[in-house]
Amino acid sequence: MDHFPTNWGRPRNDAHDAFNTYPLHQRPAPHTDTFAEGVQRTQQPIVTGTSVLAIKYKDGIMMTADTLASYGSLARFKSIQRLHAVGESTVIGASGDMSDFQYLQGLLDGLVTDEFTAGDGDALGPAEVHEYLARVLYARRSKMNPLWNSLLVGGVKDGESFLAYVDLLGTTYTASTLATGYGAYIALPLLRQAVEGREATLGADEARRILTESMRVLFYRDARSLNKFQIATVTAAGVDISEPIVLDTAWGFAEGIRGYGGQTQ
Amino acid sequence: MTSIGTGYDLSASTYSPDGRIFQVEYANKAVENSGTAIGLRVKDGIVLAVEKIIHSKLLVPEANRRIQNLDKHLGMATSGFQADGRSLANRGRDEATSYRDYYRQPSPVKEVVNRLSMYVQAYTLYSSVRPFGVSAIIGGVDKTGPRLFIVEPSGVAYGYHGAAVGKGRQLAKTEIEKLKLSELSTREAVAEAARIIYLVHDDAKEKEFELEMSWIGDETNGLHVPVPEGLLAEAERKAKEALETFE
Amino acid sequence: MPDGSFAHPQERQFNPYSENGGTILAIAGADFTVVAGDTRQSEGYSIQTRYAPKVFKLTDRAVLAVNGFAADGNMFVKKVKQRLEWYRHAHAKDMPLRAIARLIQTMLYAQRFFPYYVYNILGGIEEDGSGAVYSFDPVGSYEREACRAAGAAQALVQPFLDNQIYFKNQQPPAGSSHPVHLPLPDVLSIVIDSFTGATERHIEVGDGLEIFVILAKGRSTQGFDGRSGVQELSTTPEGDRVFVIRRELKKD
Repeated sequence: MDHFPTNWGRPRNDAHDAFNTYPLHQRPAPHTDTFAEGVQRTQQPIVTGTSVLAIKYKDGIMMTADTLASYGSLARFKSIQRLHAVGESTVIGASGDMSDFQYLQGLLDGLVTDEFTAGDGDALGPAEVHEYLARVLYARRSKMNPLWNSLLVGGVKDGESFLAYVDLLGTTYTASTLATGYGAYIALPLLRQAVEGREATLGADEARRILTESMRVLFYRDARSLNKFQIATVTAAGVDISEPIVLDTAWGFAEGIRGYGGQTQ
Repeated sequence: MTSIGTGYDLSASTYSPDGRIFQVEYANKAVENSGTAIGLRVKDGIVLAVEKIIHSKLLVPEANRRIQNLDKHLGMATSGFQADGRSLANRGRDEATSYRDYYRQPSPVKEVVNRLSMYVQAYTLYSSVRPFGVSAIIGGVDKTGPRLFIVEPSGVAYGYHGAAVGKGRQLAKTEIEKLKLSELSTREAVAEAARIIYLVHDDAKEKEFELEMSWIGDETNGLHVPVPEGLLAEAERKAKEALETFE
Repeated sequence: MPDGSFAHPQERQFNPYSENGGTILAIAGADFTVVAGDTRQSEGYSIQTRYAPKVFKLTDRAVLAVNGFAADGNMFVKKVKQRLEWYRHAHAKDMPLRAIARLIQTMLYAQRFFPYYVYNILGGIEEDGSGAVYSFDPVGSYEREACRAAGAAQALVQPFLDNQIYFKNQQPPAGSSHPVHLPLPDVLSIVIDSFTGATERHIEVGDGLEIFVILAKGRSTQGFDGRSGVQELSTTPEGDRVFVIRRELKKD
């Protein structure tokens, strides 16, 4: 049966519209893409976020990202949030294209809402969210139309903490310390040294200190970073995303560095 | 119903000479034969309650829910054909999702109600379909506060402070009218709703029933969720107590 | 852009592939097969993780190792497993090894013009009870062999296997001939030596080693019952058994 009320009571062949009742909303029509001959696809990210860092610790996972969205080398938006809670037990952090990230947030929020309205008591955990994102990103790269992000997914469900990575190619992996972008070169060695082998004993305060110091190093070395960041914590109690934290940083020492400061020789 | 047998009641697309659409009226009959559903719009939220008649002891408790979610902030209780209620809720979820996709924000209760009522109304226009055999009480909290509506089989929808549909609606309405809805909290309304459902249930005619309740408001963080077990049990206990002192 | 980077139109294309390092190998014995892979996943000079499995148990007598672009590899394994599950539902038994091999060729060739950038090595026990290794190229060419190495350190490991398994460039002692199949303890030693060697000389190999051992029915565990880190994964009613041996490799 045709389940579209707007199609009811019409002549069978409506190739010609004898009753002249067309168009009405929601009539299914053969889909033609006006731009099918010249489709534009993402070739590069435009407004971008830099590194995201995350570690496992005693009570769950902790993730951090600064609040900057850059437009090329321009520090364009200085107060955007790159950490996003998905349901009650998951947080994702995004580097790369911010519009693609916002699109993904929309997808995930829809998913969470559908899961809620089902009303069966089930909820998505971090592993499910990660698998879903991996499928979406891999599918898009396979269409040669990638979502230009590197994402970290972390959370705690049923007493298990989970931390994983997925990027625009659909590449995935898990580890107890993860970082995207420049963080993978600059912060990850620091995180591994501080965390690996201590995941089960590391306290929240020290975990926060490790991440904060890593963000400080990144701020001094990564030209696309900002000294303002947020920390997300996921424990059995749920997700908490902190207010922006501003680091006390200083560039005064730069004056004395040869080749950087004011001296000419 | 003097016009029965005159042939004007066979199709929703034909009026009777005195201007009625019998198929729609029959759909209302289906609702009137079904377990009562009520909704209370109070100070800080909405409470929905349903008298779910258990027609067999073999049924799994709490199966076949008659209160459903349309969105995080929207609930719907139906009276009438269960299957039609499920179908309508499905449409409601689609509309709520579509609103979110378009506007990136939760829909006003009225918007979903309007869209659903237009959908229901379409089923009163054609000889090839049968009108919905349900009245749906739709409650939720949006930017404007708690909102409560009934969508009837005709497609008509009104907003209410207190709503009742199904078999016991008359008695339920008189009871709801006695309440000071604008002063009640949702927590208090839960107890009242339970009491009313227990009151309107007709022991003599129907055997078992299950009380199904949901709420939404400040207490639930703006989420439409089932009333927690403990509170539900407490409300049921009080309801039974009140029943004994009644009359 | 202010820096003039858009002044001249540039040809630019999104590259849907990456290369994630690591090495895999498999060796068939008379009544067993060994399939192994390291667990490092890397991109460029960065180690992404020290533990990302590349060897997967498909059935109670088939194990698949995948190497190359990790995202393709994981997706490919997922789809192969799905097809094997459907086969189980349709036929109430596991797909035989040679049929899995042909299935993999079909699935790889289906992507001939947008290939899975993955080298596959399938190991297990054939229906006749013999150990078997099948190796594939990314678009599905395949053959049955006695041993095969693939991945980042293929160029290091394969010549070593040629020498140690096929006895290339070795003269048998006068009056005797080279054995056709090696015993399990010898094979395990060769596998471990292969990976310690590759770890030493190739930056993309290391961290951890997973060695899957598939024994044909009736074969004893003689050869590795003394070893540490052995875990039994499954036994069939007929008596085929799958084990995994986990070892550390250097992490530098």
